[in-house]
Amino acid sequence: MKKRGIGYGSMFYGLGYGFSRTDIASATLEISQDGSIIARSGEVDYGQGSDTVFCQIIAEELGVDYSAIKLITADTDVTPDSGPTSASRLTFVGGNAFIKTSRSLKKILNGVAEDILGASDLVFREGMVFSRSAPEKSISFKKLAGRAYARGVPAVVTEWYNNTTQDVDPETGQGDAYATYCWATQMAEVEVDTETGRVEVLRIVAVTDVGKALNPLNCEAQIEGGVVQGLGYALEEEIKEEGGYVKTGTLGEYMIPTSLDIPTIEVHLLEVTEPKGPYGAKGVGEPALIPTPPAVLNAVRDALGLRIHKLPANLENVYHLINGAEAGN
Amino acid sequence: MNEPKFQCIGRPLPRVDALDKVLGRAVYAGDISFPHMLYGKILRAGVPHAVIEEIDISAAEAMEGVACVLTARDIPGINRYGIAFPDQKVLAEDKVISIADPVAAVAAESPELARDAVKAIRVKYRALPVVTNPHEALAEGAPALHPEGNLFQYVKIRKGDVAEGFQQADIILEDTFQTQVQDHTYLETESGIARMDKQGNLILQTVSQGPFRDRAQVAAVCGLPQNRVRVIRATVGGAFGGKDDVSVQVHVALLAQATGRPVRLVFTREESLTTQTKRHAIEIWSRWGVTKDGKLCAMEGKVYGDTGAYAGLGPFVVKKCGIYLCGPYYIPAVKVDIYTTYTNNIIKSAYRGFGVLQASVVHEAMMDELALKCGIHPLKFRIMNALDVGLDTGTGQVMKEDCGIKATLKKMREVVMNDPTLKTHCEGLR
Repeated sequence: MKKRGIGYGSMFYGLGYGFSRTDIASATLEISQDGSIIARSGEVDYGQGSDTVFCQIIAEELGVDYSAIKLITADTDVTPDSGPTSASRLTFVGGNAFIKTSRSLKKILNGVAEDILGASDLVFREGMVFSRSAPEKSISFKKLAGRAYARGVPAVVTEWYNNTTQDVDPETGQGDAYATYCWATQMAEVEVDTETGRVEVLRIVAVTDVGKALNPLNCEAQIEGGVVQGLGYALEEEIKEEGGYVKTGTLGEYMIPTSLDIPTIEVHLLEVTEPKGPYGAKGVGEPALIPTPPAVLNAVRDALGLRIHKLPANLENVYHLINGAEAGN
Repeated sequence: MNEPKFQCIGRPLPRVDALDKVLGRAVYAGDISFPHMLYGKILRAGVPHAVIEEIDISAAEAMEGVACVLTARDIPGINRYGIAFPDQKVLAEDKVISIADPVAAVAAESPELARDAVKAIRVKYRALPVVTNPHEALAEGAPALHPEGNLFQYVKIRKGDVAEGFQQADIILEDTFQTQVQDHTYLETESGIARMDKQGNLILQTVSQGPFRDRAQVAAVCGLPQNRVRVIRATVGGAFGGKDDVSVQVHVALLAQATGRPVRLVFTREESLTTQTKRHAIEIWSRWGVTKDGKLCAMEGKVYGDTGAYAGLGPFVVKKCGIYLCGPYYIPAVKVDIYTTYTNNIIKSAYRGFGVLQASVVHEAMMDELALKCGIHPLKFRIMNALDVGLDTGTGQVMKEDCGIKATLKKMREVVMNDPTLKTHCEGLR
């Protein structure tokens, strides 16, 4: 028999390291004589998309094409220290560092442009710098860079963003541990085969408060990836250790989801602004994954009227859950 | 002029790394090679807890094409590393405490030779009793795996008066959950390539989540100042926390330093699955009190995390599990005790979700069971108890305007109520 169930999973997640652990990022921008930009950051993009977001931030602030920026990351001889990639912190901490750096560089260029154009209400947009009230007063970003170089103004700017928080009371754990929190709720709809114990996830609805989606496509993709990882955790993935030995040493024994296991994933992005975040943004990386397992496990409970206490809800555990309960009745 | 607020922010732009990855131009550490390059391989203990009586590397050293065989006495700097607490030996000295402990490192002219050389090393072990879970680790008479004992960290969360809180409760539920160990299973296994330049600088191209943290550990082991070590991240094929700790870095660096030749070290999938960091299995007991009209009044919990033979980032992970046990809800009285223990299992450290995932499995299970007992729709029950501006978390942080949990719950309510297939499910939700 197949039984259907619906479950919810909610979570909150403190962004960054918190608890007075060092949480810093620095970022460097260098402008060439032809106006092309080299950006440097110690952060690693290991697939989550921070490089793209950093380029978007620089492009936003300086009014240039995001895809023309050369971003060099994570080389200890070449880039400044920006802390590790973890704790859903990159957009927030690294992004804030790039906002500060971009604005410092812009201030320098703005001063030169004001002098050249004789206007003070300047806008940087689409590769041009022009007066808002008199747009004919304009100069290309490229030319401005050359003129700035000729005047000998600084062409390299480094700024630093410090997200280190205070520690909490060691006796009670009470205090402002984190700079900000991320929020998410997911819903899972499942169908459980009561004969085999197989759980099929039919649908996941993911609602994530990202503060501000700097790149909505990237946010959605990151959430979809997180959901898949969460499905693996909820339903099948388990490294088995017995007597100190690992019994799951191959991908034949350690099962992960395949494309055939992936249900419809419906992503909704909410934007509850975080004033300290870059343009209001929070983190996405971990909130993407955390609500999926509880939502799925609650859906299994809803379907069966029985709850898994030992994860994962794989064939074996669900089968025993169903049969153990039947034997008990 | 009517300008849009943003020119580039908020747009669904293609990723800057997309083309390189789709066209196969991205260079991963395992793709890099240099002339005269050697191949590294690590001999691991293979036994979970034992005294080393003898290591015989003579046969391996005598093999044609083997450039070097390193043991603990060949380390120029300190024989210690660790991402937050230096409790890992680079190469074992007198004892091993997990099957993954490196005992010797080999560099040879081919991957096959390196593998054969590792097999030719003879190690005599005397087995010791094994500790495999936090309760065994904390039991009286348990063998101490580290000099400070098996309890790495104990943290208390105390908010309000829990006894009074439970007195106000009409319904009290308690339960225990056991979460499992999970592997990150990134497409790219751990890999790196190290070489010395003519000025004596060590250059390491590798998987990394934090090149500066890697640099600090490598420099200390190689006995070099940090500015003589250059860590460059190659393209990283997924990490999820699993490339936060050092994997290949210190060993491949030592081999390059010892031989003066470029050395590449790439872990097999089996090495990745059986020796590298994983998500913590955590045992969580909790007790929850709620009034009959559905208001949470107290929560008490005990969290036992097994960080394996080494701390990694485990103390932070397990602590975070206890801190988040309240979930995104307002509970006036909270008491949680959090234990992080060493065992003879393999090391556990960072993994996307970082302890909060394990906590969420528990608080969301309990929220559903409490809602059921109160006869309140589970989504409504969450909205009723959600944190909001002016309310504080289980660790006393007062929420400001950026508190978004109610917004996500209300959006979810809107989604399910507008779904005609969920009509029955939505009864009692409004």
